[in-house]
Amino acid sequence: MALRSVSRRLGSRILNQRSFVASLHSHATSFGFQEVKEEEKSKLVGNVFTNVASSYDIMNDVMSGGLHRLWKERLVGKLSPFAGMKHLDVAGGTGDVAFRIYDAVYSVKRRALQKVDEASLEETQIYVCDINPNMLNVGKQRAAERGLRDNKSLVWVEGDAEALSFDDNSMDGYTIAFGIRNVTHIEKALAEAYRVLKRGGRFLCLELSHVEIPVFKNLYDLYSFQVIPNLGELIAGDRESYQYLVESVRRFPPQERFASMIADAGFEKVEYENLVGGVVAIHSAIKL
Amino acid sequence: MYRTAAKRLLAGGGITTTRLLRLPKLRSTIIPSSYTSGLCTSSIGGNTESPMGKQSVNPNQSGPTASSSTGTGEGQRRHESRKPRAEFQEEQARVLSASLRHVPRLGWTEEAMMAGSRDVGVSPSIVGSFSRKEAALVEFFMDECLQLLMDRIDSGLDLQNLIPSERISKLIRIRLEMQVPYMSKWPQALSIQAHPLNVPTSFKQRAMLVDEIWHAVGDGASDLDWYVKRTILGGVYSTTEIYMLTDDSLAEHRDTWAFLDDRVKDAFDLKKSIQEAKYFAEDIGAGVGKSVQGLMNGVMQTMSRRSGGSAF
Repeated sequence: MALRSVSRRLGSRILNQRSFVASLHSHATSFGFQEVKEEEKSKLVGNVFTNVASSYDIMNDVMSGGLHRLWKERLVGKLSPFAGMKHLDVAGGTGDVAFRIYDAVYSVKRRALQKVDEASLEETQIYVCDINPNMLNVGKQRAAERGLRDNKSLVWVEGDAEALSFDDNSMDGYTIAFGIRNVTHIEKALAEAYRVLKRGGRFLCLELSHVEIPVFKNLYDLYSFQVIPNLGELIAGDRESYQYLVESVRRFPPQERFASMIADAGFEKVEYENLVGGVVAIHSAIKL
Repeated sequence: MYRTAAKRLLAGGGITTTRLLRLPKLRSTIIPSSYTSGLCTSSIGGNTESPMGKQSVNPNQSGPTASSSTGTGEGQRRHESRKPRAEFQEEQARVLSASLRHVPRLGWTEEAMMAGSRDVGVSPSIVGSFSRKEAALVEFFMDECLQLLMDRIDSGLDLQNLIPSERISKLIRIRLEMQVPYMSKWPQALSIQAHPLNVPTSFKQRAMLVDEIWHAVGDGASDLDWYVKRTILGGVYSTTEIYMLTDDSLAEHRDTWAFLDDRVKDAFDLKKSIQEAKYFAEDIGAGVGKSVQGLMNGVMQTMSRRSGGSAF
């Protein structure tokens, strides 16, 4: 797992400008390897997630061999949640990350070991925002199963990552796990993240990313394009959605490019960490 | 030479040179006002939030509920001049400095750092991004103390009239007195420093400290002696530090200073005894060598006389 820092070099940005803009535009009009109109992309993505919502969690387990749980644990570990924090999890429909944050804050062991102010515990607010109501429903159902149906700390909000309905400087933390790939305009989502975060607030993004290691890359490509769509058909009955998924991973900017996009949005101390050789990357940054 | 090396190492150790420039303000927060025993040469009471230089926080940005609505989110994106990356280091230093005030109550923990971050006006989330969290706070404190010590030495400490052992005692005493306000939580700091992940940095910091003290005492040694001196002084410092943890004596740890003086004396005695042992060994060696040589000469002469005689 390599940890790299991105330094802001204003000069070299100009050189990358043209290809940069081109790739952004291509992300906005790409639906996997297909070309679509910008306005249509979010509708198409919406359809994908409406279809996969009910089997989303099972498919995650099957596709990643259960590893996605470890990745999310790592994400939440990096975040270091604290009692009284206001956190926003975007595109977190089924609540995986949100539940982990909730557990981290309310864990009995943590409360026993550290001096946690009970009053500030009450103030903890974890907002789960997703554009797709089906995904949110799955999440609410899972919350009910855990006994958190009426818990005031978890708030389920339907919203668009590119136009959040939260106030400026209101969030201590912002996470987006496996969601930013599906956003039409990445820079808008980043700008919104910057807007809602407080000073000192952290941005964390967990996303499937690019593998560069030679032999492993080929194995990974083989697995992505041959195995996953078939699994999708077998288990979820939906080959196209999973074809879209693997294609959209290839279309997403690589780690360094994405890191510079985050820095462009105004964030400081932009870093990323590759997990499993680059299959997944956690980008982190701070708003100062 | 050591002084510039120490400064360079300090600057490169994660906290940038900008911190050195800001020191007069930081110094005022390390030692609370109740403990002005002539240690601190600057005035106490400056708050850490006072703006300095290019302060770029807008006051209305830190409130949780700003009046703007979501639709104008993009338009509001500020086109300020790009802040340098060093700002994170500055922010971290500011937060850590403010956290020190909470350490006697909350310990060297994330809670203290979160309280410190609230003091500075930054979200406590920032603490999550410090590497090796509690260690960052302890290391910051150690760096600050070293800097304070160096400043004290520079600003004319009267060392000329003292013999070396007394100079060492005085310097160690000054350094240890900086820790007194945190004495109740110092064992925790020591255990954090002893953690395997943190040992490299804490070892480096102690090495710099010991080096600095020897430099101030006027050390002119080289090669093997250099290491021996620093190791011994490191030992004296550490044992005194640990003794101080359980010292309840009155008059500001009088027992600790007595212990310190004894240890320094022991160290110097040790040095003398080692030297004496060396001379003694040399003498014996010389004596034995002479007698062996005498014996050999005698044997050779006898043999040559005999053979020379018989040839005739």
